[in-house]
Amino acid sequence: MSVTPEPDRDNHNTFEPQITAFYCIYCGYMAADTAGVLRLQYPANVTFVRLPCTGKTDIRYILQAFEQGADGVYVVACPVGNCHHVRGNERGYARVQRARQMLEAVGIEGERLDMFFMSGGQGATFALAAQQMVDRIRRLGPSPLKQPARAAPEQHHG
Amino acid sequence: MVDRSLRSNGDSAPVGAVLVVGGGIAGMQAALDLAEQGFKVYLVEAQSAIGGKMAQLDKTFPTNDCAMCTISPKLVETGRHLNIEVLTETEVLSVTGEPGDFTARLRRAPRYIDPDKCVGCGDCATVCPVLVPDTFNEGLVPRHAAYKLYPQAVPNAYAIEKRGIAPCRDACPAGQRAQGYIALIREGRYADAMRVIKMDNPFPGICGRICNHRCENECNRGQVDEPINIRALKRFVTDKVYADPREPVAPAVRKYDQRVAIIGAGPCGLTAAQDLVMAGYGVTVFEAMPVAGGMLRLGVPEYRLPTDIIEHEVQDIVDLGVELRLNCQVDNLDDVFAEGFDAVLIAVGAHEGVRLPIPGADMDGVLINTRFLRDVRLNRYAHGGQPAEGAPPLGARVLVLGGGNVAIDVARTAVRLGRQVQLACLESRDQMPAHAWEVEAAEAEGVVIHAGRTFERILDDGTGHAAGVVCQRVASFRFDEMGRLHVEKVPDSEHVLECDTVIFSVGQRAGLAFIPDDAGVGLTDRRLIAVNPNTLAATRSGVFAAGDSVSGTAFVIEAVASGHTAARSIIRYLQGEHLEPPRKPELPVVHMSRQEIDERIARGEIKPQPRVPMPELPVAQRIDNFAEVEGGYDDASAQAEASRCLACGICSECMSCTFACGVDAIDHDMGARTEEVRVGAVILAPGYAAYHAEMSEAYGYGRYPNVVTSLQFERLLSASGPTSGHVKRPSDGSAPRRIAFLQCVGSRDQTHDYCSAVCCMYAAKEAVMAKEHARETEVSIFMMDMRAFSKGYDQYYKRAERDYGVRYIRSRISEVREDPTTHDLILRYQAEDLALCEERFNLVVLSVGMEIAEGVRDLGRRLGVELDAYGFCHTARFDPLETSRPGIYAVGPFREPKDIPESIIEATGAAASVAGWLAPARGLLTQEPVFPPERDVRGEEPRVGVFVCHCGANIGGFLDVPGVAEYALTLPGVVHAESNLYTCSQDSIKHISEQIEAHRLNRVVIASCTPTTHLPLFQDCARAAGLNPYLVDMANIRNQCSWVHSHDWEAATQKARDLVRMAVARARRLQPQYQVEVPVEPSALIIGGGPAGMTAALALAEQGFAAHLVEREPRLGGTCATCTLPTTGAIRRRC
Repeated sequence: MSVTPEPDRDNHNTFEPQITAFYCIYCGYMAADTAGVLRLQYPANVTFVRLPCTGKTDIRYILQAFEQGADGVYVVACPVGNCHHVRGNERGYARVQRARQMLEAVGIEGERLDMFFMSGGQGATFALAAQQMVDRIRRLGPSPLKQPARAAPEQHHG
Repeated sequence: MVDRSLRSNGDSAPVGAVLVVGGGIAGMQAALDLAEQGFKVYLVEAQSAIGGKMAQLDKTFPTNDCAMCTISPKLVETGRHLNIEVLTETEVLSVTGEPGDFTARLRRAPRYIDPDKCVGCGDCATVCPVLVPDTFNEGLVPRHAAYKLYPQAVPNAYAIEKRGIAPCRDACPAGQRAQGYIALIREGRYADAMRVIKMDNPFPGICGRICNHRCENECNRGQVDEPINIRALKRFVTDKVYADPREPVAPAVRKYDQRVAIIGAGPCGLTAAQDLVMAGYGVTVFEAMPVAGGMLRLGVPEYRLPTDIIEHEVQDIVDLGVELRLNCQVDNLDDVFAEGFDAVLIAVGAHEGVRLPIPGADMDGVLINTRFLRDVRLNRYAHGGQPAEGAPPLGARVLVLGGGNVAIDVARTAVRLGRQVQLACLESRDQMPAHAWEVEAAEAEGVVIHAGRTFERILDDGTGHAAGVVCQRVASFRFDEMGRLHVEKVPDSEHVLECDTVIFSVGQRAGLAFIPDDAGVGLTDRRLIAVNPNTLAATRSGVFAAGDSVSGTAFVIEAVASGHTAARSIIRYLQGEHLEPPRKPELPVVHMSRQEIDERIARGEIKPQPRVPMPELPVAQRIDNFAEVEGGYDDASAQAEASRCLACGICSECMSCTFACGVDAIDHDMGARTEEVRVGAVILAPGYAAYHAEMSEAYGYGRYPNVVTSLQFERLLSASGPTSGHVKRPSDGSAPRRIAFLQCVGSRDQTHDYCSAVCCMYAAKEAVMAKEHARETEVSIFMMDMRAFSKGYDQYYKRAERDYGVRYIRSRISEVREDPTTHDLILRYQAEDLALCEERFNLVVLSVGMEIAEGVRDLGRRLGVELDAYGFCHTARFDPLETSRPGIYAVGPFREPKDIPESIIEATGAAASVAGWLAPARGLLTQEPVFPPERDVRGEEPRVGVFVCHCGANIGGFLDVPGVAEYALTLPGVVHAESNLYTCSQDSIKHISEQIEAHRLNRVVIASCTPTTHLPLFQDCARAAGLNPYLVDMANIRNQCSWVHSHDWEAATQKARDLVRMAVARARRLQPQYQVEVPVEPSALIIGGGPAGMTAALALAEQGFAAHLVEREPRLGGTCATCTLPTTGAIRRRC
């Protein structure tokens, strides 16, 4: 999908963000399956990448996703205290926080990166997370990395 | 206790298999333990899937783990284990034999869906019109009769629930599946409803109008208020379908040269003609009259049955390729055979009216019912009622003799010709054989009825023309055993009923003149054709007879039934088979008891609501014409009427699922079967049943919508439950702000002298979860005392109270009252300071206790294991898992109420015990998977094969599956891509293995559903083709694409392409992986020589493993050995 931003236009309705989500093969994957079983609809803008555990979240993965064209990235993990590798999700969370700082340092809004915790049965929460991220990124507009004309992001587009 | 010398007492080893009864968490655990240890396991489950009660739970205490996340890996492992045979919908009839060699007889109820073929796509449930309470969701929502117990169910296969034959279907001679088409009408699926009707009856429009609808007499709804108006609904659906332009009927395919002649184009003959032509035979129908339809066309008046309906339905049959010869009287049966027909069906109706042998019966002005009705129907009285084309004249005053339905037809027809009509009959007014509503309609139209008369003679007006009938009044009459009539007349009651025309309507019979005495076709005393009632074969080979010529005058639906029977018989005759029909599995007829009806009303499943009224033409608008009297339902009223149906049979055999199933997995004719298995031991884990809360009437469960059970509340909390995890109250769907839990409902009361052990903890858990869902919720728990005894339980309870603000009140509530306007609930109780309080709650949860279901008690009795007064299994004090019958073990709540962790401990304990004394048979009955040697793919360029699944309509209905497959072919490394209807069906699995070999694939990508359940299947498929299982990857384009983007074809297709591209990219980098075997020292060290350590050591030693028991004290027994307790003696004996 190619996005050609028109500087004068408000991109609320026309911009379809590309979002990459990392989820663990336990709760994150199961929550996505459960959302399907319950036929909960959410936008198709999100592409999922499986990790054996969100403890495997590498800052490099997050940054590469942005480099390769993602407008937003998020991570879906087991609830804190319920990680199948005991504290993998907490470790992943720490890296997400660090990656946020790095993004902000290079002029990419930290909000473009987030992390959600949910159990495998929480299909509705999974669908909601996807919807929230899509809404948020749509509001933020395309990733600054895709807009070479504009060196740094301006104020939010409304 | 089992004789532990079993291993040494003979040459023969015990049977290396174990029967585990109950597929809940305990049963699964025992099964897995044993199968892993080298024993074959038969896991018997009464429901259609394993998982038991734990699968219904939202969370487990005290860790708040998601119950489904914990249990589903076990479900999958149990379901796929090579040495566990999961037998669902099965019960144990008996266990005979000795420990080490039992024979168990199992009754396997029909599932009606072959689980080996079923791929779990759910298309059958989508089209199933029958709704029943969803037991998995504790009746909070309905589910279909074709169902999967829950989304993650194992086996991943649907089942069909049948209770029996609905009484409406049983009452119908033709076996019309009324419940089925009613359910389809409720859903507005009129064409499907029509298909269901036509499966058993080619004349739906006709029967919807004139059938005597015996179905309604038997309808169980009649016990609630009024029977369903089945006939009106049938008529509604035909009117609806016939209003659309007529769909041309495709001719049936001729498969056989043989030809059948059918004499008579009435409902019976045409039904048989339809069946035979559809079976592939040539069919010719001979009809003496100028029109087809028989009695329907010539006997039933137009105001009851419009001609266009008859013509429509007859044409549908003729267009199938039936040759119809009108005006073709058969004079001699032999002529028909001479024309080369292979079989003949005599289906002539009863068209010959009967004249009573009284003086004057042959006079001018005396007519016969059948002739009169036929002449009217053939428009011979069209012009102001004047006769034409040889029809006899009709006077101004008509007297009809007879009291049956035909007499009423004659009378009401004469009214419509502008005549003054009287009707006289032998029977009294309330005993007239005509239907009461017909008699009433006739009277309303002005027919004067003279009931209870004899007909002595017909008066002459002096010119040889009838002028009236001389009658006497009847005191009583009876028929003797020879069928002769005896009448007692009222003395001196002779009188004259004056008229200009008399019409006899006292019966009719078949005209059988075309059957000469020497034709070889025997007749009965009643001038009917003699047949074998099972086959309808007449006494001459190749001749069959059906309909009125066999049974005497009957209703249309009987003619239809008879036509079907005759056709089936003729087909068997032409195929050279035995004529008697083969037996089919018989389901019971569902007659609901008063008690069941009352219970269902109490639970709110049935809401009394009388029939939706049917509009009728007012009398003034109908007496001078032949317009149809009854109007019909419109869509809204038909659907409202249809929704009153109680779905008695559950599955109605409407066959919608059969048409929808893409893998031909459905077989409605499956029957129950009995199987035997040989096992060395039995473990009983049948679990518990929740207390039936409606028994505690004071709490209003069933009457008050906002009183729910703790299991229902569990489903309301569950993210995959009916409210997606939003706690909503049943009455209005609002979020309850104030919730009360009532503890000890169905435990620790007058009838349950035991504690259910789990309710304190689950109530605390449910209270905490309710607070987690909505912090502002106020939760109060009314209890006698707190029993939180296991590890971490007390802290959990304290946290609920302290951190979550759950209020605990020590009081036993005696009654729940409801505010009928808000459906709020009012509780009165005595507070701890003795003040009397009254509080209002939005929702009341009854913490129901554990009981042993009646079926499980029966099982215990059948197996001869001792139960206590409440049905819990009695076990020995020092062998707490052994029942009173050696070799049979009991675990889980069947022993006594207990929670999940304890149930699992017991399951593992029982498995260890069994493994101990069956040790010599370990590995004797188990199998290892056999795969061909693995191909070495090192150094090969990736050759990826992509298989994209339609999953019926589940994926294919929402995105471009063939397009995705085409796209996959463009991806680097992909050498083969295709789409499949169901990738996981048995034939597809075989096909994929073949493709791997044919294209020398070394990587496989399956784009279908979730790897959580399906990856092992495709890995085995790769292994079968000699490929390392780790070279397989999946793209989840169903759960994570088609199902969640079902409103956006383009976006879903694009996302599926992305997911496939990602999976291919990953697959190209996959490398073979191998499981590594490491040496294990088969011995164990047990630290501590108390009862626990000693038991563990013994169990290991029994299984043949070295056990090193270490105890720091000089003797074994631990603390137990130093206590003075009644049990210490036994402990010492063990030491």
